[in-house]
Amino acid sequence: MDLFKKNKVVNWHEHVWFKPGTRELNVEQCDQLVQYASEVGMDILVCSLPIAGGMPTPEDIKLCNDAVYQAMKRHPKVIKGLAFINPGYTREALDEIDRCINELGMIGVKLYNHYFASDPVVRPIIEKCIDLDIPMLWHAGKLTVNPESQPFLSNGEHFAKVAQAYPEAVILHGHIGGGGDWQWSLKAMADYPNIFTDISGSVHDTRIMETTYKMMGADRMLFATDGSFASGIGKILGADIPEEDKIKILNNPRFERYLERGMK
Amino acid sequence: MIIDVNTYIGHWPFRQVLDSTPEGLINLMDKSGIDMACVSNLNAIFYRNVQDGNEELAYQIGADKEFKDRLIPFAIINPLYPGWKKDFIHCIDDLGMKGLELYPTYHQYNLTHENAVELLNMAAERGIPVHLPCAIENIRQRHWMDTKEDITAESVAQVLSLCPNTDFIITNGPTSTIAGKLATLSKNRQGKVLYDFCRIDLLYFNFDNFVKSVGADNVVFGSVMPLQYVDTQFAKLYFSKISNEDKEKIMYKNLKELLKL
Repeated sequence: MDLFKKNKVVNWHEHVWFKPGTRELNVEQCDQLVQYASEVGMDILVCSLPIAGGMPTPEDIKLCNDAVYQAMKRHPKVIKGLAFINPGYTREALDEIDRCINELGMIGVKLYNHYFASDPVVRPIIEKCIDLDIPMLWHAGKLTVNPESQPFLSNGEHFAKVAQAYPEAVILHGHIGGGGDWQWSLKAMADYPNIFTDISGSVHDTRIMETTYKMMGADRMLFATDGSFASGIGKILGADIPEEDKIKILNNPRFERYLERGMK
Repeated sequence: MIIDVNTYIGHWPFRQVLDSTPEGLINLMDKSGIDMACVSNLNAIFYRNVQDGNEELAYQIGADKEFKDRLIPFAIINPLYPGWKKDFIHCIDDLGMKGLELYPTYHQYNLTHENAVELLNMAAERGIPVHLPCAIENIRQRHWMDTKEDITAESVAQVLSLCPNTDFIITNGPTSTIAGKLATLSKNRQGKVLYDFCRIDLLYFNFDNFVKSVGADNVVFGSVMPLQYVDTQFAKLYFSKISNEDKEKIMYKNLKELLKL
């Protein structure tokens, strides 16, 4: 575990949640998350609060982002926020990005599975992120079983289309180990240098790290856990890749500038 | 000491897996400090006649003293295929296998099938524990030719009372949920029900709470090597706040006792 103790560790995919049955931050869970992160040697947690099902309204979205902001204020040295948005409400989504980035001090945008990344409805969001120079973290995966459970879940092919149209966008494929055919997405994304992936997810198949490293390189990999701390840690420790590149993945220098912004 | 309950040799047909020979597995065990491992042959799952896979396993382990000392062979039996009874007895009595491993979702039968029940009871009579891996790979990424089902708590629940003396080891699934559902049924049985923690995370005390609820006497270490990184399992033990005594039970003592090593 020395790798985690001796190096700066930025976890680019974590969540805070509402208290069950409310629209308020689950403070106790948030504090436990930070405590655990500290115990295992994580320095920064980049958090969002997405709504997975249905079609969240602008009002729903604001409550999510307000809860994230509360978590940021509660743990300003540890929690950085991503603004969750629903591209289906274009004007409100653009306003919410402005509010979250410029007023609340968040450092990027989180998109879920409401639309494919390549859907034209997402274009104004992508353009806004380019203007603000902020990354977009996408809930992603290529489900091979029960894909109808998430019919608009983006995978590597969708991100490749976006990257082709917007080479200046910073696209972050969420959880390459989040379930689904990770080889599919890696093959689809490999040739697009503005697509990155975080390594989170509960899947810790052998070779997932080595294959990601081979196809995308450490420069395009970011440490993350998305609720699966042991898997995230195990993948990094178990991967047969050079230590200097593991250190790079733990705190990817290409994403450092985002961390320097936002709420202090 | 560490004994791993869930490892494989053989070919996994759906993605490239390295280190899938006895030698490769031993190398992985050495890298991670694992002393002994229960091992079955992936080929047996996919051969029509699974027994050929068991014979391969016995032959390969028998080829080297270190393999024999450190790899504990488990027989995969398909109780719907002709000769299954004879194969099982041969595996235990002649090939020295120490456990039985079943793949009902791959071989397409219910655990309550009369042949399966008979096999499970035969295992109990011979003091042979039965390993039930809920899955091999995560269900969300299954190849189009792979099974689309996992072993569920419900399927195990149905068979527990039919085989009251059989020792079960349930691994590589949502064992916390399964253990919760089987808690009442597991009581007052002669046979044990042990669980691994392969898919339980350490965050929010999940691992520690699992050990507390199931009891350290009923938890074993399983990695799914060489298909999964073993370090994930070590991270849970490393950061856990359970006692060293409980960790020792989980890492080897429970399996040592069950397998009479």
